[in-house]
Amino acid sequence: MKITFKSLLAISIMTASLSLHAMENKLIVVTSFPKDLTKEFKSAFEKKNPGLQIEMLKKKTTAGIKYIQETASNNTSDLFWASAPDAFEVLKGDKLLAKYTSSAKGIPEKVGSYPINDPDGYYTGFAAAGYGIMWNTRYLKAKNIPVPAQWEDLTKAVYHNHVGMSAPSRSGTTHLTVEALLQGDGWDKGWAKWKEIAGNFNTVTARSFGVPDGVNSGSFGVGIVIDFFGLSSKGSGFPVDFTYPKTTALVPANIGLLNNAPHPQAAKAFIDFLLSDEGQSILLDKKIRRLPVNPETYAKAPAGFPNPFKDSSIGAAVNFDVILSKSRYNLVNSLFDVMITYRMDDLREATKAIQDAEAANGDSKMITQAKALIAAMPITEAEAADPEFAKIFKKKRKKATDKVTGRQAEVEQQWDTIVKANYAKALELANKSH
Amino acid sequence: MTSKAYKNPGQTLLFILIALFMLSFLVIPVVKVFYVAFIDVNTGNLTLVNFLDFFNTSLFQESFFNSFYVAGMSVIVATIISLPLAYFTTRFEFKGSVIIQSLGFVPLIMPPFVGAVAMQLLFGSNGSVNLLMDEYFGFTIPFMEGLNGVIFVQSIHYFPFILINLSTSLNNIDRSMEESAQNLGSHGMRLFRRIVFPLAMPGYVAGASLVFLKVFDDLGTPLLLNVNNMLAPQAYLRISSIGIDDPMGYVIAVILVVFSLFAMWVASLALKGKDYSTVQKGGGGLAKRKMRFWEKVIAYTIVIIILLAVLSPHLGLTLLSFGSIWSYSVLPDGFTPEHYVSIFEETPEFMVNTLIYASMAATIDIILGTAIAYLVLRSKIRFRHWLDYTAMAALAVPGLVLGIGYLRTFLGMSIPFGDMPLATWWVMLVIALSIRRLPYALRACTSALHQVSRSLEEAAENLGANKTKTIYRIVVPLMSGGILAGFVTSFATAAVELSATIMLVSSESDAPLSYGIYVYMQSAAGRGAGAALGMVAVVIVATGTYFSHRIIEKGRRERSLENNS
Amino acid sequence: MPPLQTHSVGIELKNIDLSYGNTRVIKDVSLSIKQGEFFAFLGPSGCGKSTLLRLIAGFEHCQKGQVFLGDEEVSALPPWKRQVGMVFQNYALWPHMTIYKNVAFGLEERKLPKNEINQRVKDVLELVGLQDYAERRPNQLSGGQQQRVALARTLVIEPKVLLLDEPLSNLDATLRVHMRQELLELQRKLSLTTIFVTHDQEEANTTADRIAVLKDGIVQQIGAPMELYDHPDNLFVAQFLGSANVIQGTLSKQSNYTLFDDGKGMQISLQSSDIEGSKSIVLRPQNLALCEAESNTADLQGQVKIREFLGNIVRYEIQVGRQQLIVDEMYSFDNVPAETGSTVGLTINNDKIIIM
Repeated sequence: MKITFKSLLAISIMTASLSLHAMENKLIVVTSFPKDLTKEFKSAFEKKNPGLQIEMLKKKTTAGIKYIQETASNNTSDLFWASAPDAFEVLKGDKLLAKYTSSAKGIPEKVGSYPINDPDGYYTGFAAAGYGIMWNTRYLKAKNIPVPAQWEDLTKAVYHNHVGMSAPSRSGTTHLTVEALLQGDGWDKGWAKWKEIAGNFNTVTARSFGVPDGVNSGSFGVGIVIDFFGLSSKGSGFPVDFTYPKTTALVPANIGLLNNAPHPQAAKAFIDFLLSDEGQSILLDKKIRRLPVNPETYAKAPAGFPNPFKDSSIGAAVNFDVILSKSRYNLVNSLFDVMITYRMDDLREATKAIQDAEAANGDSKMITQAKALIAAMPITEAEAADPEFAKIFKKKRKKATDKVTGRQAEVEQQWDTIVKANYAKALELANKSH
Repeated sequence: MTSKAYKNPGQTLLFILIALFMLSFLVIPVVKVFYVAFIDVNTGNLTLVNFLDFFNTSLFQESFFNSFYVAGMSVIVATIISLPLAYFTTRFEFKGSVIIQSLGFVPLIMPPFVGAVAMQLLFGSNGSVNLLMDEYFGFTIPFMEGLNGVIFVQSIHYFPFILINLSTSLNNIDRSMEESAQNLGSHGMRLFRRIVFPLAMPGYVAGASLVFLKVFDDLGTPLLLNVNNMLAPQAYLRISSIGIDDPMGYVIAVILVVFSLFAMWVASLALKGKDYSTVQKGGGGLAKRKMRFWEKVIAYTIVIIILLAVLSPHLGLTLLSFGSIWSYSVLPDGFTPEHYVSIFEETPEFMVNTLIYASMAATIDIILGTAIAYLVLRSKIRFRHWLDYTAMAALAVPGLVLGIGYLRTFLGMSIPFGDMPLATWWVMLVIALSIRRLPYALRACTSALHQVSRSLEEAAENLGANKTKTIYRIVVPLMSGGILAGFVTSFATAAVELSATIMLVSSESDAPLSYGIYVYMQSAAGRGAGAALGMVAVVIVATGTYFSHRIIEKGRRERSLENNS
Repeated sequence: MPPLQTHSVGIELKNIDLSYGNTRVIKDVSLSIKQGEFFAFLGPSGCGKSTLLRLIAGFEHCQKGQVFLGDEEVSALPPWKRQVGMVFQNYALWPHMTIYKNVAFGLEERKLPKNEINQRVKDVLELVGLQDYAERRPNQLSGGQQQRVALARTLVIEPKVLLLDEPLSNLDATLRVHMRQELLELQRKLSLTTIFVTHDQEEANTTADRIAVLKDGIVQQIGAPMELYDHPDNLFVAQFLGSANVIQGTLSKQSNYTLFDDGKGMQISLQSSDIEGSKSIVLRPQNLALCEAESNTADLQGQVKIREFLGNIVRYEIQVGRQQLIVDEMYSFDNVPAETGSTVGLTINNDKIIIM
């Protein structure tokens, strides 16, 4: 029964694609967005275009890219619809995206300091999102923990073991947050701050949704999340709240047309729809809660809804350098994993010891030394910026003659040795200091 | 030299067909994935340097150790759970046996990762149990922290493998084995240690090695509990990272498979020549005796505690599926049926797809299982045992590896009569599921065929039926109990499979339940709906398991009737 | 020097009653077995003979009655404290242990010193002729060898009594005869009180000093084999031990003899007795003889229906009136057997007719 149904469908698609002018009756979208978001757009667009059916192919951003790369030789998908601009950069770099510029009006060039659309026209921003801090109100109240406001707050001892975050290598948007702080505070100070915050981590989740999930259920109290996770959790009724710290990057969430898309007409119409007034308004839905890129849509927003086009404090502190971010993308992720994700226990233990030493008014020289050890980086910013070195982390050999020296596993192991020794020494010093 | 013995061309053809199937859908895809592990990224030549890197990297050493530790500890904890349950059901006339037999198997049919979500809510650092303990006793127990959490969830999920095998083994020990030891002066724990346990050992080893393998390869649970320092998550994280072409993920995949095969080989060595099934015709298992009152009290207490722990994921899932908001509290804030309403309105296709895929996969499994069992046990084809080995090796291949292998192998090909790539056709999902579950069905079919006496076939041939007729009219009907059991096992486990599914699903309308649960669970508002979908999966699979039990029991009763007459 | 000591004792069962749920399996059984006696429980399957044996070993518990080993009442003792040796029907050798380990098990349970265990295992394996098989596993031995191991394993603990549960039933015919002789020899050598459970009357007859015939949980008769054969207490015993022609009819007293009439045309004159009325008579096949049909010594006339050549004897089934009688004749090569279908006369050895 299934077979006949499917083959009938296939036949009807084929006949439909034969009739020229008509829009295709099918659209396949690879997306990392949750069902709560996709289903609203799907039903609204399908209502507008009777007979058209959208397939939402839900993949994690990383898996989505992998999927598109693996299937490129015989592409069946039309659109890639996800948050992180750098994910689109990867696809663009692999020549898997097609140019399309929507005719939609009223969309400014930048949100915060980030350009909304790809300057080359390969992908289009449809909503803005920024990283911030989300917390569980019941949790904080029960444990008598103050509500955090800035990234610095999360370095305080009171938050020890109460913070969650996902690894930047797992989630493109998390990467942006890490990179934003590195760009805002500088390489060494930025990493030092990240490690101070990470010392308070309860967990580093593998899925980016693991963070809001953990805060929602109360596994940990505070999460570093992208705004819509916080806003939509609140909208769904969880006892949680969200705020933007000063140093945050507002970045657009994007949609891009894939090369050789089987249904280009429908795909382009969908992009236009996203940017239309109707599409932008859907973003305000209480289970979605993303920042529209059309400033006029904010007129319909509920009270207290952040408006980056009015409130210039949101996302303005960092002048985000996309080129720099892209050049060291994998390297930063790998560093984060080596220093934080995979050495979580060592880091947490050393941080706890330092916090205890500080509370006990231990030898301040030794404490400073211990802190310096934790902050110490296995490589300098200059080294990280060396394109030859960064290549080790992106070895897609284009031709068989391409040669790269050094292997990622080799480099990571060197870093790990340094980091592990430093953490152990910091722990020892902190314990000795009081 | 020509042999005059009758050669059966049908068997040879069958052998070739099955071998081709296994080659295309298991061997080649896996080899395609493995190949990357042996490529030097700098030069493109074949190399072993990646494996050198693996063993030189402390993170991987640690991950390897952790995986090993977690798998080993899970076996131990699962044993601790299974031993008393198996002991009570096989040694006593114990009313609780029925509860144990029906509820003891339920954990297996929990979709992976869903159990972990529910367990977090109940046993997490701020889960119901710890909130209560903190309030009344002022301390908490870190059930779910780090590796402990993985061990806890895994042993609760997989202990039925040990329970089933151990119980069967114990039931197959003839009562005279025990009585002769008593007669010679042995009793109590000594008798158990020296006679009963060694005789039940083969069954135990079979179950324990399965638990070890499953835990060693499992991805979902550590991933959901945010434990990254294990082999399977490391492989997954590295393979699925953006834009990185680091071969380490594939190296880990190879190591996972090789090590699993090694573990299977060790287990089979340990089992060699130890078919201790000593039960005589008509004689049933160990002597069962009635429990004294205080024994009953102790037994029920232990059983209830264990079952509470074991069924806690289901309890948690039920609460979650009916709960409105559940955050940092012992119970959800309120209860509502709306999650169920929304899944039946929004996504009935998940359920329909699951039923179609799982039943198709299970059908393929029993056909292959019966055919392979027949070829192995009844034909004289030279390499017939390799079919068995290959099919069983599927047990050692993580779903993720198979999924990636399919994408690599079949993407270039188009489906018949269409221009869609083969890899993203839903039929491939069915085939992947059937390959993943073939080992279960094959074992069930093999043991069923073992019980069919050869003379029954010879009688049919003697009366003029050819091989095909004999198989169709004698062998298959006699195997039917085992075949059905194999069908249901394959069906039940295929229905909750995620790891291969998530790589291969190419459109939502083609997606099965487990994928739907995963998707729902990725949004704040979808948690309840995901749990509701999870409950639907549990109910579907539980119904299937229940019927398989009925069928197996019926078969057993019929057989024992024959023996008694 | 005999390798084994025995502390053999007698066995006494008093008023044993045993039920499984509502089914009464053993009904008020009492019997006593003398020290050193070779005793057999004989009966069809389901008669309760194995249950009785298992009761003595301690694996079954009776609702009523007592079990004595020598002077000691053991009814409440668990199996492992009874010092009763039992050989199971399937031998119950543990497949995961070597022969040596199997045999040593009971001694190890008794915590004997290692060198003593060693010596005794060696001795007992020698006794059963398996000294070279110590390191083998049970599944590497033949049925007869397994049987000997089972016996050795039991004897090595120097049991007070030896219980054999159908020990020969898993062996082929030749081996069965050989093993039963071996068993008997060993029993005599050790003078060990032995109970042998069997459904095969030949086995019981050839080995046992005395036999208890059981049916439906009731002891039908106890006695030496020949005694049971010649003087069965009831039809069941008569038919179960050896072949028998049982004919129902009426006895009536005549002047100097007693006449048996089956009411269907068969009349036999018996030695004079006081017994009268509706009775059965039992004729053993060897107490009937063929003669010429017209011979005046013929007591009966009939037609040969079936003739079976059994080696030493020829067995006939003769149709007499409406009865079929079995007749055994010794066979020798100069003696021409009667043809199937022919009419023959039958002479009856009147002295050997058993009246029930």
